[in-house]
Order: sequence, then C-alpha cells, then structure tokens
Amino acid sequence: MAHEFNLLSQILTVFPQNAVIICCVLGVIAVLMAATIILLYLKKRPKKEPGSVGFFGRIKNNVKEKCAAVKDVFKKKPKEEYAYAGPELTKGEKFRRGLKSQSGWLFVAPALILMAVFTFYPIIAALVNSFKQGYNSMTGSFNGWGFDNFVRVLKGDTGTGGADFVQCLINTLVLTFISVPLSTLLALLISVALNSIKRIQKAYQTILFLPYLTNALALGAVFATFFQIIGTANNTESVGIVNNVLGWFGVAPVDWVGLTSPHWEIGRLSIPWAKYIVTIIYEIWSGLPFKILILFSAMQSINKQYYDAAKVDGASRWTVLWKITAPMIMPQISYLLVTGIMGGMKQYSAVVGIFGVTMGQDYDMGTMVGYLYNYIELGQMGYAFAGSLILFIIIMIITWINNKVTKKRTTYR
Amino acid sequence: MKISIQHLTKIFPSRTKGDKAVHAVEDMNIEIPSGKLVGLLGPSGCGKSTTLFMLSGLESPTSGKIMFDDQDVTTLSAEKRGVGLVFQNYALYPHMTVEQNIRFPLDNMRIKKEEGNARALDAARLVQIEDLMARKPNELSGGQQQRVAIARALVKMPNVLLLDEPLSNLDARLRLQTREEIKRIQRTTGITTVFVTHDQEEAMSICDTMVVMKLGIVQQIGAPQDIYDDPNNLFVANFLGTPPINIFKGKISGGKVYIGGEAIGETKYEDRDVYVGIRPEGYIYHEDGAFTLQLDHIEVMGRDKSVVSTHEASTKPTVRSIIDSDVPLPRDATELKFNIKPNKLFLFDAETEERLR
Repeated sequence: MAHEFNLLSQILTVFPQNAVIICCVLGVIAVLMAATIILLYLKKRPKKEPGSVGFFGRIKNNVKEKCAAVKDVFKKKPKEEYAYAGPELTKGEKFRRGLKSQSGWLFVAPALILMAVFTFYPIIAALVNSFKQGYNSMTGSFNGWGFDNFVRVLKGDTGTGGADFVQCLINTLVLTFISVPLSTLLALLISVALNSIKRIQKAYQTILFLPYLTNALALGAVFATFFQIIGTANNTESVGIVNNVLGWFGVAPVDWVGLTSPHWEIGRLSIPWAKYIVTIIYEIWSGLPFKILILFSAMQSINKQYYDAAKVDGASRWTVLWKITAPMIMPQISYLLVTGIMGGMKQYSAVVGIFGVTMGQDYDMGTMVGYLYNYIELGQMGYAFAGSLILFIIIMIITWINNKVTKKRTTYR
Repeated sequence: MKISIQHLTKIFPSRTKGDKAVHAVEDMNIEIPSGKLVGLLGPSGCGKSTTLFMLSGLESPTSGKIMFDDQDVTTLSAEKRGVGLVFQNYALYPHMTVEQNIRFPLDNMRIKKEEGNARALDAARLVQIEDLMARKPNELSGGQQQRVAIARALVKMPNVLLLDEPLSNLDARLRLQTREEIKRIQRTTGITTVFVTHDQEEAMSICDTMVVMKLGIVQQIGAPQDIYDDPNNLFVANFLGTPPINIFKGKISGGKVYIGGEAIGETKYEDRDVYVGIRPEGYIYHEDGAFTLQLDHIEVMGRDKSVVSTHEASTKPTVRSIIDSDVPLPRDATELKFNIKPNKLFLFDAETEERLR
C-alpha cells in the first residue's frame, strides 16, 4: 500500500501549477454563472398569486421546456416555431432572456468542471508533453520538440533500467486475450449450471460472488503463496500448495513466481510462461464473479417458453446452450468481452499483487499501465506520456474491432 | 394417431404453507379419434393449457395415463413423443431467420441438409410463407409469426399437433382468416390436432369435437352443435353461444314451467325451483304470446333484429332475443309478448345447476 501512496504523492507533485489556475478560473466562472442565474430567477419572481408555481416550480417548468426543445430538435422541427413573437423587449430583458436560455450549462457545470480538471486537461497535457524531448516534470524544461520519446519507448532505449515497453505490451496482450475469453466462457458454463439447479442456488450464487468483494492485492499475495517454491533444503521439500499437488502426479516443483521461474528468451524479450499461467489463472478466477452475475441474471430473463419449444423439438442440452441461450444473451456477452478486454489492457494490481513492485524479475511481467507507473516513479514523465498515448491508441483500435465483431453477432430483443 | 386420455389428473403442490394445492386437471377421460381437430374450451384457469402441456410432455401428470394409439406415452419425454407444439406467444427464436426457425427441429433430428431444406420449404409452402424465409421474426406481422410457428411444428411431421391459444394474439379479422387456415392445414395434413381456446366461437367454428372444461373438470364432450343443442349443465349452456343464452329464475308447477307468473312451456318433471335457459333464437313474436318482456330497445342488424329487453326474473341485466327481420314488431311498444320454441328451452336444477333430462 505504501507504494501506492508514494505514487499518489508523486503524481500530486508533478501536477503543474497552471492546472490549479485553470481549475480556479473555471470554478469562479461557474460560481458567477450560477449566482447570476439564480439572482435573475429571484428578481423575476412575482408576488405570490393563486396558481403561481413558485421558484422551484419555475425551475421544473424550465427543465421540462428544455427537454421538450431538445426533443423537438431531434425530431427536426423547424426553428421558427421558437421565434419570439411577443411585444418588443428592452435591452435588459433581452440580456436576461439570452442568459436564461443558456441556463442548461448550469446543470452540467459540476460534471464538466471535474472532467475538465481530471480528464481533459491531463489528456491534452500528455499529448503535448509527449513530444517534448528530455522533458523535466519538475522544472518544465525540455530540449525541443520531436518524436524522440516515442522512438525510445518502442526501442526500449530509455537508459533508466525501467520496464521495456514492447515486453509490457506483449505481456498485456497475451494475458488479456487468453484470460478474458476463457473467463467469459467459463462464466457462461457456470451460469448455465447455476441456472439449471434449483436447490441452494442462492447459496452458490453468494459463494461465487465472494471474490468480487476481496481486495486485489490481498488476492495476489494469496496466489503468490499458493504457487510458491522455497526450495529443497536438507532433502526436506517445502513448497507451495500447487507444487505439492503437482508433486502427487510426479511433477517436479516449478518456480512459478520466483527468480528462477522458467521462461523463453526471444531477442531482448523474455516470455515467462510460468508466470503467465499464474496470472491468467488469477485473472480468470477474479473476473468470474462479475461475469457470472451479469450472465446469470441475463439468463433468468429469457422467456421459459423458448426452452419448452426447444425441448419439444428435441434439442440437446448442448444445442440449447449454443443455439438458444448464448445467442439470446449475446448483448451481455459482448458487453463483458468489450469491458473485459478494456479492463485487461489496463491491468496492473494483479501483477503487482502477485509479483511485487518490480513486476517480476526486471519487469518481465510488466503491464502497460505498470509501465506508465514505473516511469512516473522514475521521474521520466516524457516516456510515460508517450507510452500512455500509444496505449490509448491501441485500446481504441481494439475496442473498435471488438465493436465491429460483436455487433454483427448480436440480436437485441 | 388416436389419443386416449385416461383418468388424467394434475395437482400443483402449494407454494407456501396454508395454500391449497391446485387441482388443475381432475380425472379427465377423453378419446380423440385419429385425424380429428379437437378443441379444449373453457375460461382461464380451467386446466386446458395444463392438459395440452401434459399431452406434449412438458408437464408430467400426477396420475392417469396418456396413450398415443396403443403406446403409453405418460412417462415419455417431450422430444420422444413426436408432437408439434405451437405456443401462445409462438416462441420463435428471435436471433434465427424464419428458415432457421423452421429447420431447428430437423437439425435436432440430424436430417441431411438437402432433405431438411426441402422439408422446410414444403412446410413453409403449406402455411404460405415461402417468400419470408430470410426474415427475422421481429420483421414479421403477428399473423406471419403465427404461420412460422405452425410451420415449425409441422416440419417434423408430428403425429399430434398441439396449439395453445393459437389465435389469441391476432386481431379480429386475422383471427377469422387464421382459424380457417388452421382448419385447412389440419384437413390437408390429416394430423390429429388438439387446440386450446377460451373463445367459444372459435372452438365451435372449427372443431370436430369440443371438450368444455371448468376448474379442471370436464363438463361435456361432443360435436359443437350437439353441445349447443343439448348442454349438460348451466355452465356449458352459458358458455356457448353469441349472444349468450338468457337465464331466468323460474319454477315447475303441475307440469308447467313458470317464469314470474307466466307459464311459458310444458314439462314432464316434477315440481321444483329451476333455472330456465332460453336461447336468443328461441323466441317467436306473437301478440298473444305466453312470455312478456319489457322492451328496452331494438338493434337492427340487417339479417335479423336483436331485441334488448328486461325481465325481473332474469339473472342478467338485459334479455337479448334474435328475431327474423321480416317479422314486423310494433313500434313504441313497452311490452312484447313471445312464445318459446320448446327445443330452445332448457331447464336446470336450481341447486345442482345440472340439466333436467
């Protein structure tokens, strides 16, 4: 946990002063806007008459009116209908009306301000700063513009001993594209099983949902212990539970998570397959509860008549699952795939939980987000910015493909 | 295929303590001859759908037997019975095209592709939807969906075709058309067909045999006209016929049937309180008629007139009688006198509501 606090304090230190200024300006504008509009409402408030709707009533009516206007815009009604047709207005009245017509901004202001500060500004800042060579986040100095950061990130030539981007990218893609489909498939099968039992269904449901409520780092620590190898000292084997179980089948203990973990070397990259297995099992297992929850509730909403019809028509259980149940809950499955892959691309806590802050040996289990944190920690913001932009583009492309593929196979009921 | 239902009973156990178990069907005995169209008729909750689902194998009976020809199918599972079932909401798979929907039972039977295609096309032709094969169910009208559902049930050449409220989701005009269609398909294929409905008109118009049910108990079985002309009890008499039969409180005294103070007919039964049922077409207008009704108004329907009147002994607010439009009726009359056709007059015991026969 200390690690995470450390990160937070660093992020806060590098958060530049101009952001604070923008914050303040936006905040002041919003407050002024709000005050003016409220004052206008108050000033226009007539003496209480029978049938008057009051202050909040008028706000309500205004909202209604706005909603209707938006609806009409979508229906493409001609704009003339809204032209003012009353007696001529004084300048002040015109101004007031003009301001009032903009009061919709007031309602979106809180969200807009927060997003501006914490989403839009960082995106733009990252985009701009990623092109600054030798950027120093403390002083804001840099050597000039160019693609230097991107080149160095992709070549792995950062000269800091930090994580390797390509290694992290491959790790992330492998982990995501193996664990997400597998865990979705498994969740589908478990949901079908859960759906077909009548007794203690609720109890199973609760048990299956428990991992969802547990802290990711704690789970990672437990997994690391499961897969631990400590060694064979004095001919006494002292290994983790997984190695113990494998030992019953005559498999020699494997160092799943430690320094001597087996891996393949390909060029400057290493493929730590044993660590992959551990992480994939973790990802599948920890992803199950939410997926089961979604798929199970989707299945319960399928009309029972489809199953009756299938039964009369002699469909086997297998046919029912693949030809009826799965297509019927395709919207939910594609939702899980899309969000699962997006989440997978951003995974970090699992790897840190299992393999510690260095994400394995020399960051050989690093993920893309881990890469970013790593370089923020090293104070090399330029590489972090460049890496985050590449990550952004990759996620965008994958999500786009994902949508194309799943939309084709989805019939919404 | 001949179907015989013997002592069929279905009891749904109570869900919570204190609830009574529901006797959905009780001791049902029906023989359905091969190639006939049989309608199960009754108000909702009378067990007609439960009976149908027991025939299909989706529900298992609590006791009793179901025989297809000489084979006892009571414990046979749905897919082995070879029945085609059309659901009330059709239950077409929304993600499959019409063709895939119709082919679905064949695919499950592992029938070769060419043969399957040919059979699917035949079934589609029979219900006249062969132009819609590439569509998805949500692109079809209600009537078209209905036909797809029937085609899907027919494509596996079932021994028995079961229809659960097949017309209830259609509009009035389509309903007339489709019920003739069902009759035509049943005649062409010669498949023994059982269908469930709560609409007596529908049942009367297309059934060979009709089974009238109430609260899980069969009230009467027979040809529609026979049941109409000769109802077993007050419920059956009341349930069949549009406009419905008129029921009066009356009594038998000295071999005569009395409603109010008027003797409207003769009978051989001994003195007692009765319900007197008179079919709307059983009234003959006559200046010196035996039965007096207080005229409310007259509805002209072209072919005949519908006389709406009141009577203090009637169990319903109005009495409706159908008179031939040639018969001149006095205008501005407050009372009309009728003679009653003896064969349109039914007497029911006031306590048991059973017909006096």
